[in-house]
Amino acid sequence: MPERSSPADVRAARERLLAAGAPLRRRPRRERVQVLGRVLERFRAPESPERQRLERELPEATGFSSATVREGLARALAPFSAAALEALVERELDALGKRRVAVGFEATAVLLGGAVPTPTLPALAGPLALGSPVLARSSSHDPVTARVFAAALAAEDAELGAALALVSFPSDDDLALGELLATPCVVAFGSDETMAAVGARLGPTQRFVRHGHRLSLAVLGEEARGGKDLADAAAALALDVALWDQQGCLSPVAVYVLGVERVPDELVEALAAGFAEAARRWPRGRVLSDATARFAVERDTAQLRAAAGADVRVVAGRGFVLVAEPDAAFRGSPLQRFVRVHPAPSAERLLEAVAPLGPHLAAVGVAGLGPLAGRLEPELAALGASRICPLGALQAPPLDWAHDQLGVLLPLARLADIEG
Amino acid sequence: MDRDAIERELLAWMRDEPGRRDDARFEHLALALFAFQFRANAPYGRFCAARGATPDRVGSWREIPAVPTGAFKELPLRCFPAERSVHVFRTSGTALARRGELALDTLELYEASLAPSFESFLLPDLAPGERLPMLVLAPAPAEAPDSSLSHMFGVMLERRGAPGSGWFVREGRLDTDALLEAARGAATSTSKLLLCGTAFAFVHWLETLEGRERLSLPAGTRVMETGGFKGRARELPRERLYAWIHDRLGVPPERCVNQYGMTELASQFYDSVLREPGGRRRKLAPAWTRVLLVEPESGKEVREGEVGAIRIVDLANTGSVLAIATADLGRRVGDGFEVLGREAGAEARGCSIAADEMLRA
Repeated sequence: MPERSSPADVRAARERLLAAGAPLRRRPRRERVQVLGRVLERFRAPESPERQRLERELPEATGFSSATVREGLARALAPFSAAALEALVERELDALGKRRVAVGFEATAVLLGGAVPTPTLPALAGPLALGSPVLARSSSHDPVTARVFAAALAAEDAELGAALALVSFPSDDDLALGELLATPCVVAFGSDETMAAVGARLGPTQRFVRHGHRLSLAVLGEEARGGKDLADAAAALALDVALWDQQGCLSPVAVYVLGVERVPDELVEALAAGFAEAARRWPRGRVLSDATARFAVERDTAQLRAAAGADVRVVAGRGFVLVAEPDAAFRGSPLQRFVRVHPAPSAERLLEAVAPLGPHLAAVGVAGLGPLAGRLEPELAALGASRICPLGALQAPPLDWAHDQLGVLLPLARLADIEG
Repeated sequence: MDRDAIERELLAWMRDEPGRRDDARFEHLALALFAFQFRANAPYGRFCAARGATPDRVGSWREIPAVPTGAFKELPLRCFPAERSVHVFRTSGTALARRGELALDTLELYEASLAPSFESFLLPDLAPGERLPMLVLAPAPAEAPDSSLSHMFGVMLERRGAPGSGWFVREGRLDTDALLEAARGAATSTSKLLLCGTAFAFVHWLETLEGRERLSLPAGTRVMETGGFKGRARELPRERLYAWIHDRLGVPPERCVNQYGMTELASQFYDSVLREPGGRRRKLAPAWTRVLLVEPESGKEVREGEVGAIRIVDLANTGSVLAIATADLGRRVGDGFEVLGREAGAEARGCSIAADEMLRA
């Protein structure tokens, strides 16, 4: 891949891929899936060259600390197994039966985004599993992962390797983007503004699978409010926040403590201890100065509110900030390991407070909900969360996670019913 | 020195010699105002005390603790009882986002501060008292009474606006047809013209002109735009906006002025291009303000040429807080500064959504 692809480079790559599509589609799906499964297994193996290369190159490329990259990869790649891929295919495609078929598009464009490396793997593997060649634009914040995936794929199977092309160009190169988007199926990761801009350039017959920016929350129930359970929950929350420096859509930005009118002091102290330990084990990485400025403004605002007499407690540690809020009203976070802790006297109050976040909600990590789980979890799903999981597991979604409520493979396929 | 005395001296400065930069006078007034606000603005006083910054310990305006802009959304940062407020300006907001508020118990100083800068940076070629048509791409104050931008345009339109001036955002929408009609009229009837409004309103207008109309506005036309594009479907670098304005309106980039201001401040900062034609574009501060560029986490000043977060000390903020910390980045340029966009080349680093973006959605 050239450092910067010209519009002509992108067009040539697209045309090459369209030619590569026919033999790819002729191969049995089972074969394609087996190849992709072997590629995923390479990434899962801690000693593999692929994993070693990611661990070596990602810190410099993404700005995350080495320890964060190592831990983040270990946790996020563990569920990405060959067996999980086969199970995903069985669940989403085989289960359609003989009457309905799912076919990949002639080509799929994938606009990767952000520095979090792990979503890249399913994003590239999904269309290929369906027999659709992939033209992918690497993220400027992570030019490494897609490259390593492409090399591993080519090493496993030349034909599949030839069905993946990587291009790289700045986001304001309209001509190159236009060439990329001239594919029948487009998958994009990025901000809501990016989604709107890409969507506006697509025709009515093009498939557009959008993964805009989202956020996640944590909920601590009564059974996680004291003793060892609290310490465990604090460590789990700190891990979920520390990995990828809170940049991922699965990173919690706020914690709701159920059943209290005021966040207990001992809970704030336990969380602070968990965050401090996480900062020691997985130090925060490089922070761009505009993000540092937003972080400082939010921290100082919280300190001013505290000084002014509001019941706000601020723990400003090395590389993290915790703010215990007086109420359930959501206030957001500048990210970079900045978490607000809110009291939620009742489940109803919690749901009311987070309801406006619904369209942007990715996941909710929970701990100690006890019998309330059966009631609360469906309500959170109804609000918009596409994943509810134990705290500490947020950064390790299963391969078949219904990302953005969409599923994994079906949105990338054309479906046809054969009624004869 | 009480607040009345401080304001009297400031008004004299703004009236008699608004262009004179006087460091000793600034220092003296800044420390006096800090001492007053420390006493009269209880939340601010406690914030400063918690940092050990009391009037007896603060020896320079550089040491005055700055309040983050976000605090105006959280607390009533005023030095007078609420019932004495005569006007409240508010930041924009959404269902989730609180709106920042600047309460004023007098508009005299506020208006005295805005006028000299506006005139000096946008109307330097006009004789005292000379008027020109002003086409405003923003709502009139009656429609947006809590908009500080509309208020500023209202004050200046009254003082310097000639017949043919008008407001072109009505009921929340830019009236592009009426604006085009007014601009066409001005193109044939006047030699000097001011187009002013939000950058986003200009983009909207230019989009409607694209492929349809190319105006050739008089050589004495100037454009003033303000505000950014965050949260809009379309982000446009300033250079491209100015090139577009040149292409569609016939106003060259050297006659386009960006204003940097915010609801929380009484004073504004303008590009130098009209006042110093041919000089390097930079923002110059009114004499009663100072701009610091600091490391966000530590608050220490950055070295010459380095990027830092913008911190402003504005003596015209007598009734609230004089020192404001922003999340905007800037760099010192000679005797002025430039405001930078997001980190160079920065797309979002992750797929999570930061507070300000979330709250705008």
